[in-house]
Parts: sequence; C-alpha cells; structure tokens
Amino acid sequence: MKTNWLKQMFAAVLATAALLFTQTSTFAEDAAAKPKIAVVVSTLNNPWFVVLGETAKARAMELGYDATIFDSQNDTAKEAAHFENLIAGGYKAVLFNPTDANGSIANVQKAKAAGIPVFCIDREINSTNAATSQMLSDSYSGCVKLGQLFVKTVGKEGEYAELLGIVGDNNTWNRSKGFHSVVDRYPGLKMVAQQSGEFDRAKGLEVMESMLQAHPNIKAVFCGNDSMAMGAYQALVTAGKDKDVKVFGFDGADDVVKSIAEGKIVATGMQFPKKMAQQSAEFADEYIKGKRDFAQKIAVPVEVVTKENVSKYGDYGKK
Amino acid sequence: MRAVRWIIAIVVIAGVCRLFPLFHVVTMKTATAEKMAATFNATQFAETFWTTKLLTSRDKTVKADMLLPAIQSDTAAAKKKFSRSVGLSEGYFYFVSGSGRVVAVSDDETSIAVTDGSTNAEVSLQTGLIFGNALRDGTGLLDANNYPNSQDFNDISAALNHIVETRVLPKLREQAKVGAKISFVGCAEVDDESTDLKPLKVIPIQTETQKN
Repeated sequence: MKTNWLKQMFAAVLATAALLFTQTSTFAEDAAAKPKIAVVVSTLNNPWFVVLGETAKARAMELGYDATIFDSQNDTAKEAAHFENLIAGGYKAVLFNPTDANGSIANVQKAKAAGIPVFCIDREINSTNAATSQMLSDSYSGCVKLGQLFVKTVGKEGEYAELLGIVGDNNTWNRSKGFHSVVDRYPGLKMVAQQSGEFDRAKGLEVMESMLQAHPNIKAVFCGNDSMAMGAYQALVTAGKDKDVKVFGFDGADDVVKSIAEGKIVATGMQFPKKMAQQSAEFADEYIKGKRDFAQKIAVPVEVVTKENVSKYGDYGKK
Repeated sequence: MRAVRWIIAIVVIAGVCRLFPLFHVVTMKTATAEKMAATFNATQFAETFWTTKLLTSRDKTVKADMLLPAIQSDTAAAKKKFSRSVGLSEGYFYFVSGSGRVVAVSDDETSIAVTDGSTNAEVSLQTGLIFGNALRDGTGLLDANNYPNSQDFNDISAALNHIVETRVLPKLREQAKVGAKISFVGCAEVDDESTDLKPLKVIPIQTETQKN
C-alpha cells in the first residue's frame, strides 16, 4: 500500500516536472519567435503580382521577420477575411497590394485601429489617413509617355481599341486617362472599342477576339497591363493580324519585355515592382523600430520600354 | 383587446420610423447636385489655383540667367540647388523665370536667348500641345499627399495644361516675333541625366512683351 502511494507521488512529481519543462520550452520558443509581417496581394494569378509579393516577403525575411503571403484573388471579401486573420494572428505590419481603391479602405482602417501599420504597394486606396504610407507607380505620367509613343508609332489617324483593367482600381483609370490625355488630342485617332479585360490574360484574349470580329480595321490596341497585352497578342496571332495591329502594354512583365525585344509588342511601361516591394518592407521595419513620419503617397516613376532601349531592362526592373 | 394591441404596436412602429426613417425621398435634382458637390472639380480647382497661387508665385522661381550658366557649369550641382522632384523619380523640375530676345519661332516652340550677349536658343518656350505634370509638380505649390484619390490629382494636370493651351499660348504666338524681347515664367521638366538641356524646354505660365 505504502509502495503504491510512493509510486503515485513519484509519477505525479515527474508529470509536473515534465509539464513545467514543456511550458518553459514554449515560453522560450515564443521569446525567440520572429515578429510577423503579412504580405496581402490582390492576386497571385498574375506573374507581376507574384514578383511583388515574393520580393516583399523576401525583403521582410532578410530584415529578420517571419513573412507570410495572403492571396486575395481579386476578391474584397477574401481580403477582409485575411485582415481579420492577420489582426487576430498578432502580425506587426502589413505590406498591402489592395484589391479595390474604395473597398479596401475599411480593411486598412481595421488594422490601424488594432495598432497594425499598413503600407500600400502599387495600388492606391482613396484615403490619406488610413495607411501609414502608399508607394505607388506614377501610372498617369507613364501612360502620358506611352500615349506620345502611340501617336508617333501608329500615326495621327486610324482606329484603335483599349483594354481597361479592373474598373474599381485607380490604376485602371490613371493609365487610361494618362493615355487619353495625349491620344484624344488627335481627332483622326478613333477609339472604336473600349472594354475591361480585368487585368487578366485569358479575359484579355477573349475581349480582343470579340473586338477583332466587330472592328477588323483597328491599327493598334492599348492595354492597361501586360497580362492583357499578352492575351491580346495571342488573339491577334490566332486571327493572323499580329503583324498589322500594334500592341502596347503596361507593367514591365518579363514575357512582355522579351516580346518587345522580339518585335511582337511595341512598348510597355516599366513599373519596378521589386523596388516598390523592397522599399515598403524597409518602411515596415523602420516603423516597427520606432519611425513614424512617413510620406503618405510616394510616386515611383514609370519608364517606357521599347525595342530601342529594351536591352537596359529585364527581371522586372532595370539591369 | 387584440385590436388595441395592434393599434399600439402600429403607433410605436410609426413613431420609431418617424424618428429613424428607413429611407429618405430625395429629388433627382437634389441628388445630382449633392453628387456634383461631393465630386472633385479639377477645372474649378485649377482655375482658382491658377489665379490665386500660380500667377502670384514668381518670387519662387529661379532666374534663367542664373540657372543656365549653373547647369552648364555643373548639372548635378544646379539640380541639387535649384530643382525639385517628386517621389522616387530620377526626373526633376525647374520653376524658372527670365527674359530674353526671340531668336527663332516654329509651330511648336519659341526660342529665346537669355544670357548677356547670347544669340543662341537657350530657352525654348513650348507652344505645341501640352502634356504631363510639369505645371502641377514643377512649382512645389501642390502636394499629392493632400489628395485621397490620385485621379483627382492627375485631373489637375490636364486642367492646368488646358489653361496654358487656351490662354497663354495664343498670346505668346502673337508676341513671338524674331527680335522681340519677351519675359516669361514657366516650368521645365528634365526626364533624367541624358536629357538635352540646350535649350531648356519650358512650359510657359506667363509671358509679356518688353520694350526694346
């Protein structure tokens, strides 16, 4: 009886010691755990955004953080769910490529209310007091330059089409308006079709196919991003019109830069996603270390890539 | 008894709806007016900005006869001392004023010699179609951080360019005779270090003919 009692006491002491040891280990692991940074990207169904997200993650990790990418799949509801999760998950900062200029504001405000700074990359939210800072491509100026090149290349007369991006995104309209601020000054250039290809390659192909059927005489197509430009080019190849219709894109995606070198696409606007992503990760690091005075909107210039200067560009930036 | 309860319930619901109406009936005219008031009017903004800020900001310019020798002497030092840039751009702007003698005129530009004794085209006043953000960003008087929607900020550029094309350029084309002496205020945009600054291309905001 006494032996049993001693055995039970010994077992209890061992169990308590084991429990204490386990908890101590957990506390030690927590103390050693890296602070977390979330990278929330509008879509990973586009190589350009994959580069943006992966670069932001890599730079955050270089700076000593545990970084995770969340894919919003161009869906504001999914984006909102990501923000709920990252707020609950104890993330220290968010590197954010928004889905919708207006629809994403509430998510940023929630994070701000929870004390989590948000740094927008490439895409804007229509607020100057929600995000800590917004690093944005100067799409308008880039498309003014593309518009000037368009007139020079296509001429001052003829029919053309435009593939717009996602209608809720400011980049869509900044690009379109920049382009039209130039091209609309030439009355001989007539836009016979304008439709959203939702920044998507497959959709761009589909829209271009129907545009070609309705307007077989177009001389050029201006695309709001490179994915749609590749889709449009594919449609032109299928229709046997790739030599007749000039394609202009925007982004600086690698496949388009290569296509420019091969003479398939006329030009694109290089946006430097790596530069923006790295700088935003560095801003988040500076914030976590105590800095608070960030410019709300920082314009990143866009450079026009053509066959003449394409050798200077590649790998989503300047060589 | 049941009827009384129904009446009380209806009265209570009616009272609550009165205090907190579920919807408001607004005439189309009022709704349109409210929407217009809430929408940024770039044309109106540019008009006010042009009159009250831009035309009264000559004291913020760098003098062309000081800037041009500085550029020729040391482009990087001149950029550092006299230019402004936005964001992470390699490009920059000069807000510049000066006067000089017209040495050449074409459809798209009026060329002026500004330094003492020069007969070369040192400044080219742009008189063709005006594009881009030089007027918006070149003076430092407008800040992107004050505009929640960048589309509004970009619309300002288009509106300012339109003012130049419709008011400044017609007058300049009349004044631009070879040999005439002209004073000007304007903005120059420099894309990068490879940009040819001979002559400095300036989008004019103000021009005046001076007596010889």
